[in-house]
Amino acid sequence: MDAKRNMAKGPQPREGGSSQMEGLDLESVIERARGHDAEALGEIYRRYARRVFGLCRYMLDSRESAEDDTSEIFLKLQRSIESYDRSIPFPRWLLRIAGNQCIDALRRRKRGRQVIADVEDGAAVIEAPSSEPSPLGVVISKEERTKVRDTIARLPENYRVPLVLRYYSELSYDEIAQQLDLERNYVAALIFRAKKELRRRLPHRSK
Amino acid sequence: MECYSEQTCALAVDGELAADEAQRLRDHLATCQRCRALVDALRAENRVLSESLNELPEEEASPAAFSPLRWSWGRGDLAILAVVLALGSIVSGWFNELDIPAALESFNPFSVSGRTNLIFQFFYYVAHGGTAMLADYAAVVGWICLLLLLGGSALLLGRRGRPHYPGLRLLIVLLALSLPSFALERRHGEFVTVAANETVDDTLVAAAKMVRVDGVVNGDLLTFGQTVEVRGTVKGDLISFAQRTEVSGTVEGHIYTFSRTLDLEGQLGHSIYGVVQSLHIDDRGRVGDGMVVAVGDVSLEGEVKRSVNIVTGGSADVSGSIGRDLTMVGRSLTLTNTARVGGNLSARVRQLTEVQIADGATIGGKRDIQVRVRESQFTSSRFYFHQAVWLAGAILVGWLGMLVFPSFFQATTQLVGSGWLSLGLGVGVLAGVPVAIVVVAITLVGFPLSLMLLSLYLAAIYLAKIWVGAFLGKILLKPSGTTKGEWLLGLLVGLLIVTIVGFIPYLGGLVHLGVVCLGLGAFACQLYWASRPAI
Repeated sequence: MDAKRNMAKGPQPREGGSSQMEGLDLESVIERARGHDAEALGEIYRRYARRVFGLCRYMLDSRESAEDDTSEIFLKLQRSIESYDRSIPFPRWLLRIAGNQCIDALRRRKRGRQVIADVEDGAAVIEAPSSEPSPLGVVISKEERTKVRDTIARLPENYRVPLVLRYYSELSYDEIAQQLDLERNYVAALIFRAKKELRRRLPHRSK
Repeated sequence: MECYSEQTCALAVDGELAADEAQRLRDHLATCQRCRALVDALRAENRVLSESLNELPEEEASPAAFSPLRWSWGRGDLAILAVVLALGSIVSGWFNELDIPAALESFNPFSVSGRTNLIFQFFYYVAHGGTAMLADYAAVVGWICLLLLLGGSALLLGRRGRPHYPGLRLLIVLLALSLPSFALERRHGEFVTVAANETVDDTLVAAAKMVRVDGVVNGDLLTFGQTVEVRGTVKGDLISFAQRTEVSGTVEGHIYTFSRTLDLEGQLGHSIYGVVQSLHIDDRGRVGDGMVVAVGDVSLEGEVKRSVNIVTGGSADVSGSIGRDLTMVGRSLTLTNTARVGGNLSARVRQLTEVQIADGATIGGKRDIQVRVRESQFTSSRFYFHQAVWLAGAILVGWLGMLVFPSFFQATTQLVGSGWLSLGLGVGVLAGVPVAIVVVAITLVGFPLSLMLLSLYLAAIYLAKIWVGAFLGKILLKPSGTTKGEWLLGLLVGLLIVTIVGFIPYLGGLVHLGVVCLGLGAFACQLYWASRPAI
């Protein structure tokens, strides 16, 4: 349970108000939220809004869309929380829903077309020539993490979306493939290429 | 044994390799240092990615890292916004200092308890059943606020292309008329929901972060919230002030909205009037009447029975059906193959290439597509005529002023020269007086006084330019005496300068504001001196 709690980022700063919910464990909060307890839903919002907003912010290109879709996700949560079956940790489940919502939003903007189009060489993997930059280094400072984050944010959509779903939402390749309506192999190739592109864009670090 | 490719190693590190293959890789790693180093490096990279992504910046995500706002603000708009914000903060500071009677505390938007804004407070008060008379007065204040809000935003949107807004005027009037003078049910909180099996018989005023209607509202629905969602039925009108308004159910009346986004996926009995940044009518959406909107971007995939009038700062995409005319003023217009316009199509755009009409699109009436030439005001003679009339009027008023209150006018002109004092005082007066007018108006006896104050305020704003113009003329011409003739000549020169400078893009607006503040400050100062008893 604690591990799950830890996955939640700190409370949303602007939601400063304290309530009796604050001390409750996640399990009870979810249980009460399933009974459409507005306060419990509010508490879930307080605990996870920042994390969900983070995902939306990475996935969508403007802050406004991210804000809109964050509220949308929590609005939908009221209806869908009943379908949460505890088979996976709640934060992960929530991020899965959030990912779906973001992809829907991206799709709406493209008027229903696929967010990432399957290309002909779909599953084909371009092998890296040995001269390419090596994987990013081990320990990096806060500034460098910011740089990595900013670079990811600037990656093209077809690289950014799978990368964020994998390393922020921690979805499996299969789950990402399902959300994006793509072949699993293609997702693997996209993530692989995304990392290569990231290495290329970030100043080359030693091994 | 041959080494594994980087991608296979990456799959393994992500835990995405099939069990048997993963086992083979592990066996290989035991013997191959090169592959082991690669896998370690990839693992470290994954950690870097996770850590970087999960460490959300304190200020949430920094906007600089992402593409700029969809809504590209002109610098003029930003200047207006900055001025509005500056004035707002001045007003708020002033308001905080003010000792407001306890009975009026609910109208103070900056009180400790008042997180919600003035309008929320206003409706709460009405809903709490304040005395009928006070409610009447309060309604006036509410109207003023709403009108200012709508007028201001219409102006901001309208700056993009001098639109004609008869529809917006209609909206303002209708909004004002539809304000509560009847039964109200008020709800507020984090989430406000009308459950599927619930029926609200009155007009419902809902203020919450998320407002959702699954059931039936027999009256109007007036909402303030981040997200407003109507999935059930609203028999009256929907009036929403929200970041996001989504209608997937039925609204039998009109929709009046001031939202960032409006999504219509359901049925609307009558029309949409609103100021919206992004408007989307889904292919399931159906509007029983027409649409008059000022929007950032609009996409129309559903059906609108009657005419559509759009003033847009961005693009208008139509792939649905419009029963009658489509009139738009904006940047770009796209009609897809499925688009159908029953009546005339009239578009005002900046470039002809911005209008794309697919071959399959049907247009029942005439096509009238015109290019709006920007800055055209300087080429039309009407513009110069208007300016001349304005100038002549100002000279006349100045002359009359000099005739009736010669010393007052000359002294006020002199006081403009006190510079920062006048400017500072003027900013205070410009921002403070409207607040004072509102505060005076809501006390029972003060209403006539507030009207007088308002007329004086408007007159002073007009006269401000005259005093500043006269002052400018005076320092430029350096007249030897202080005769009326010289004063008037100075006024003419000064006003000409002020007027011409006022037309410089971006800067002009600021200069104009500065001029008004200077003049108002000098006026206030002179009033103060004049009211002091002569010793």
